[in-house]
Amino acid sequence: MIRFDYKRPDSIEECLALLDMYREKARLFAGGTDLMVEFRAEDKKLKDVELVLDISKLTELKIIKLDQGSISIGSGATFSQIIENPVLEKYAPFFIEACKTVGSPQIRNTGTVGGNIGTASPASDSVPPLVAMDSKLVLASSKGTRNILLSDFIEGAGRTLIQPDEVIKSIQFKKLKPEAGFSFVKLGRRKTLAIARMNVAVYVESDKDGVVTDVRIVPGSATPVSKRIFEAENMLLGKIPSYDLHEAIGKKVSEKMIGITGKRWSTPYKEPVIASLVKRALNEATGVKENE
Amino acid sequence: MNKIKLVMTVNKKNVETEIEPYARLLDVLRDKFGFTGVKEGCGIGECGACTIIMNGKKVNSCMVLAAQAQGADILTIEGVENSDGSMHPVQEAFLEKGAVQCGFCTPGMVISSYHLLNENQDPTDQEIKEAISGNLCRCTGYKQIINAVHMAADNMKK
Repeated sequence: MIRFDYKRPDSIEECLALLDMYREKARLFAGGTDLMVEFRAEDKKLKDVELVLDISKLTELKIIKLDQGSISIGSGATFSQIIENPVLEKYAPFFIEACKTVGSPQIRNTGTVGGNIGTASPASDSVPPLVAMDSKLVLASSKGTRNILLSDFIEGAGRTLIQPDEVIKSIQFKKLKPEAGFSFVKLGRRKTLAIARMNVAVYVESDKDGVVTDVRIVPGSATPVSKRIFEAENMLLGKIPSYDLHEAIGKKVSEKMIGITGKRWSTPYKEPVIASLVKRALNEATGVKENE
Repeated sequence: MNKIKLVMTVNKKNVETEIEPYARLLDVLRDKFGFTGVKEGCGIGECGACTIIMNGKKVNSCMVLAAQAQGADILTIEGVENSDGSMHPVQEAFLEKGAVQCGFCTPGMVISSYHLLNENQDPTDQEIKEAISGNLCRCTGYKQIINAVHMAADNMKK
């Protein structure tokens, strides 16, 4: 176990002041579900940590609210809290579906969405739907706040653009239309306690004639950073959903994935699997039958 | 490192001790207070053998710093028994239905089942599976455990 001092700030201001003072020597502790594993393993990246700042009890960071069509989730909201939230259930249902697949009930009781984003694992379950909703983050430091798009914030596996004196304060996105189609599909080795082998978040809005007017496709665990695959989305925009079209879009996503990652040892597995997951998610989101 | 004075309630008793700021709650419960029913299986939040109830929520005590438990209300397997010292219906049902083999996962399984039955007196198979989904058992295949939770639910209604 890595050794450190512990402080529990009573407010965000106090937390930011301490962070400004200790900078790289301090580590924010939200749910601890990743950090405790790394402390125990004496992870090299934590060797300079002298102080743990426990933000798990900061109620200011746990607020989930809807304000003029925009939803804001405090970074300290736990996955259990998110799953039970009626506003999110109504306006961001695929985000709830994704959060339900995180870890286990015990993990979801402590793990937070801000922590999941800050850890920047390519296998994150909460990030693909948040990217699909073009979410932005509010980052706070003792100097003030700044906004950044989530898809720009995550730079690579385990790397983000956060500064040593900053805290992720909240995640914000526009509410979705409750009547739109959505899907989150995850493939793990078992149902719970499984890290995603691959996952995908899909959102489809159509007009009264069934023509697609807005579409978002974000695969997870496929590339180091989850991004919308615009080329694949454009194939569906302005069209009527169909099995064959979804199959072609799945292949496009797979092609783009290989374009980003290159051929790897896992490619023979991931190439057909991501194509199939995308097809399945689009079918589910648009009510197209699987076996047509 | 400055030691921290920790005050909390464990199994309805107020306790107090000095801890290292980096101590895990799991280790403090076991080593300072002797609650060795709280097991360390994997130590990385996957197996659920160290499950406890903290302020009404079940958590893996290997993923909680002891310092976070300041003022907390904690229940371990040692606090599950009835006030007269007899076994809780969940514990009885686990024995009755053969839901225990090697026994290492049992404290966590019992805590998760106990927590479920406090909130839901008549759970379905699916609800039981969900409730114990954070607890791994490598012996029983889970069937006996699910049967035991149903039996406990029935007995608790009597």
